[in-house]
Amino acid sequence: MERYVKISKKDFYKWVDSLKKHGKVYAPKRKENTHVFRPIKDSSELDLNYISTILPPKKYYFPQKESLLKFSIKPFETAKAIQKFEEFVLFGVHTCDLAGIQCMDVVFREDPLDPNYINRKDRMTTVGIECLKPCDKHASCVSMGNHVPRGGYDIMLTEIKGSYIIHLNSQKGEDILQGHSYIKKCTQADRNLLDSLRKNKERVFKEEFIGQLTEVYTVFSKLSESGVWDDVGKRCVGCGNCTTVCPTCYCFDVKDELDLNLNDGLRYRWWNSCQMDDFARVAGGEDFRPGRVSRQRHRYYRKFKYPIDKFNRYFCTGCGRCSRTCMAKINLTETVNDLIKEHRNVSIGI
Amino acid sequence: MTEVLKPGSSEPPENIYLPHLAAIKEIREETQDIKTFKLVFQDEELRKSFTYKPGQFIEFSIFGVGESPFCLASSPTREGYIECSIKKMGKVTQAIHDLEEGDIVGIRGPYGNGFPVEEMKGKNLIFVGGGIGLAPLRSLIWNVIDRRDDFKDVIIVYGSRSIADLVYKDELKQWQNTPGVKLTLTVDPGGEAEDWKGEIGFVPTILEKVNPSPGNSLVITCGPPIMIKFVLVTLNKMNFSSQQIITTLERKMTCGLGKCGRCNIGSVYVCKDGPVFTYAQIEQFQEEI
Amino acid sequence: MKNKKPKFAFFDFTDCEGCQLQIVNLNTVLVELLEHIEIVNFREATSERRNDYDVAVVEGSVSTPHDIERLVKIRRQAKTIVALGACATIGGVNAVKNLNPPGIAQHRVYGDKGKNFETLPVKPIDCFIKVDYYIQGCPVHLNEVAEVFKCILAGKKYDMPNYPVCMECKMNENVCLYQKGQDCLGPVTRAGCGSWCINNNNICYSCRGLVDNPAVDAQRDILDKYGLKLDEMLAKFSLYSACGGEKYDQEIKKR
Repeated sequence: MERYVKISKKDFYKWVDSLKKHGKVYAPKRKENTHVFRPIKDSSELDLNYISTILPPKKYYFPQKESLLKFSIKPFETAKAIQKFEEFVLFGVHTCDLAGIQCMDVVFREDPLDPNYINRKDRMTTVGIECLKPCDKHASCVSMGNHVPRGGYDIMLTEIKGSYIIHLNSQKGEDILQGHSYIKKCTQADRNLLDSLRKNKERVFKEEFIGQLTEVYTVFSKLSESGVWDDVGKRCVGCGNCTTVCPTCYCFDVKDELDLNLNDGLRYRWWNSCQMDDFARVAGGEDFRPGRVSRQRHRYYRKFKYPIDKFNRYFCTGCGRCSRTCMAKINLTETVNDLIKEHRNVSIGI
Repeated sequence: MTEVLKPGSSEPPENIYLPHLAAIKEIREETQDIKTFKLVFQDEELRKSFTYKPGQFIEFSIFGVGESPFCLASSPTREGYIECSIKKMGKVTQAIHDLEEGDIVGIRGPYGNGFPVEEMKGKNLIFVGGGIGLAPLRSLIWNVIDRRDDFKDVIIVYGSRSIADLVYKDELKQWQNTPGVKLTLTVDPGGEAEDWKGEIGFVPTILEKVNPSPGNSLVITCGPPIMIKFVLVTLNKMNFSSQQIITTLERKMTCGLGKCGRCNIGSVYVCKDGPVFTYAQIEQFQEEI
Repeated sequence: MKNKKPKFAFFDFTDCEGCQLQIVNLNTVLVELLEHIEIVNFREATSERRNDYDVAVVEGSVSTPHDIERLVKIRRQAKTIVALGACATIGGVNAVKNLNPPGIAQHRVYGDKGKNFETLPVKPIDCFIKVDYYIQGCPVHLNEVAEVFKCILAGKKYDMPNYPVCMECKMNENVCLYQKGQDCLGPVTRAGCGSWCINNNNICYSCRGLVDNPAVDAQRDILDKYGLKLDEMLAKFSLYSACGGEKYDQEIKKR
């Protein structure tokens, strides 16, 4: 099949309905005044007109609670607990969340490979959708470079004048497009439209940070003692919402659970947060990261400094969820900009 | 689909979270709250082939209770078994102390970077330990003694709160009697008894008294944070550089593999890039240790 | 595992006995538990009244001197004590009495005869005896009850979660009630109930008590930003935390 194909809006929902033969389809659905990713039975439940979901799609390949192994005390047995997962389609993922998927991939594929993650991720077919206009003041996708597609998908949909232009990026993508007569060729005129749409986006989407990412890295390298962190830490409630909704947060804890027969049990991992009081506390009672100031600072460093040192990649996707959900209205863009300003003042000697 | 690993099976676990099974061969009470466990892997192949470096750690599982990281206190020069010295502190260690010889536990590992043994060859080694901090050092000390000719002089300064709190009491004598090994024992003021022949004083003070020279030397230290703090001050006074001082850090290492994020300090994971670090490296971390 | 079944006894003090009713509500789980434990004293569920128990599950807070006597006797007999429910763990609803000057409650309930009934300020049971396990909540959450009983049988400690309800609520993908103009006490309340109330469209009432290190000034900020009133929020807290909440109240009022 060609790299670029087209589907008219009229036929689009027919195609979405046909996806269920490839497995369960998870797509954005409306929930009260916001959206969530949920399984959909047919295209009438789909709502692609969304800014963000409460939780990012990470819950599908890195679930809130996941069993690692089963065990039995008498007779003594331990077993892997990876179940065979079914194929599924993750539909309608914004480019910021796709960046999040790529980041988690880097971490879990790093040696040693995480088999639970691989098991789920390899069964996923990702259909992305491009945002045509900026969403709200919480996102920082333009500065992070994630307002345009940058890989991480099997198919990307871009809406143009009564149709969707489809960019095919993998065999899996081709599989879910095969055999439909309404998937048409993409003409040169269509490609030109796509190009001018992208050019237009560069005018409409404005950078959120007052500096480039290279400057952000330098700022973070130098300002670990800045007063900005004290301010953020004082406002923080320690509710952990920011880390729960972040597409690239993956810290977890491991727990054992026994059945009522007190013989069989399960060892599972569950989402944890560096913002929790006990996160860095050891059995002797010593806390290696006390206080909300050092914890919030740690969270930012895990997005803007440490992963560049380790993987040469920023782990903030610019999705804006942390700012949107923060009870204390701590805004990521504001914090980064405050740091940049402070660094510039210091350099000039103010 | 689930694959079952029974005791005695020689199937290697492909799942990185699945532990090997080991039986407790021997339990030795070191102090009122520290026990040393000698463990033997159920699988015969593994018993022969399991190898590690001093300074590495394993994740010790009690199924139904949980898993905890402990450093390997035995030396890899002695094959067929591994040893861990465990202090009763929390939920998992409490349950470990209730175990008996013959009980089966899970072991994952070895994890971590271990001590740079190759770089230590041909150098004078100064071990400074406090309390249970002697456990990871013991792995290296026996390694050094077993390969005595590869290393130069060995100085050991070890102290505890009281005589009862000293660990490896019998082995301390053996080290004392090894040629080229100078052992100085100390207890905190108030922890001595009438027949105590060792020093009385805090470890950093006694270290200063012993006064090792920094020439062609490396210091390996492990113990409570307050002790380390003052040991560093003392070593600085004696002109040791931070590259010469090696320690092993403690953190809440849950997965042991660099995935769960809990042992993260700065850009490093204590479980993968450590737990052994030189002080020169530690000074680079942007976070307080 | 022990060969002999440990003997459990259930006692109540100043409470509504709702938590004990929850134990009965365990249904089939209770039947399975009975394979491992023997219940020798449980007024709400059985007529047996033995006193040779190993584990005492205590519901209710202390409000009379007689309560203290009974409690101390129970502690002497039992090897393990479990504080069941908010009344036993943090004082609970009963502690609302403490908000008024002493004597008011007696007068309101018993009129002139109030002087005949000696009553103390309400306190949780660990002010008088050592407690080995705490099960928070009003009422207790059945999953947690099962967990704690399993820990008792396995002889291991139960680690209460020390993070706020928000974590569980967000993992359950609820829409935050603050965004709907309601003041939920979740951000400073101890988790472990699976955000039960919010899952059912109600605010968190902080029936499980505060986390160990609640963020006092930050909570104040939140109220300001959402335009909610401090007094209303403190009033909500006093429903369950009137006992221990004094320090928190003072700190949050300081700013």
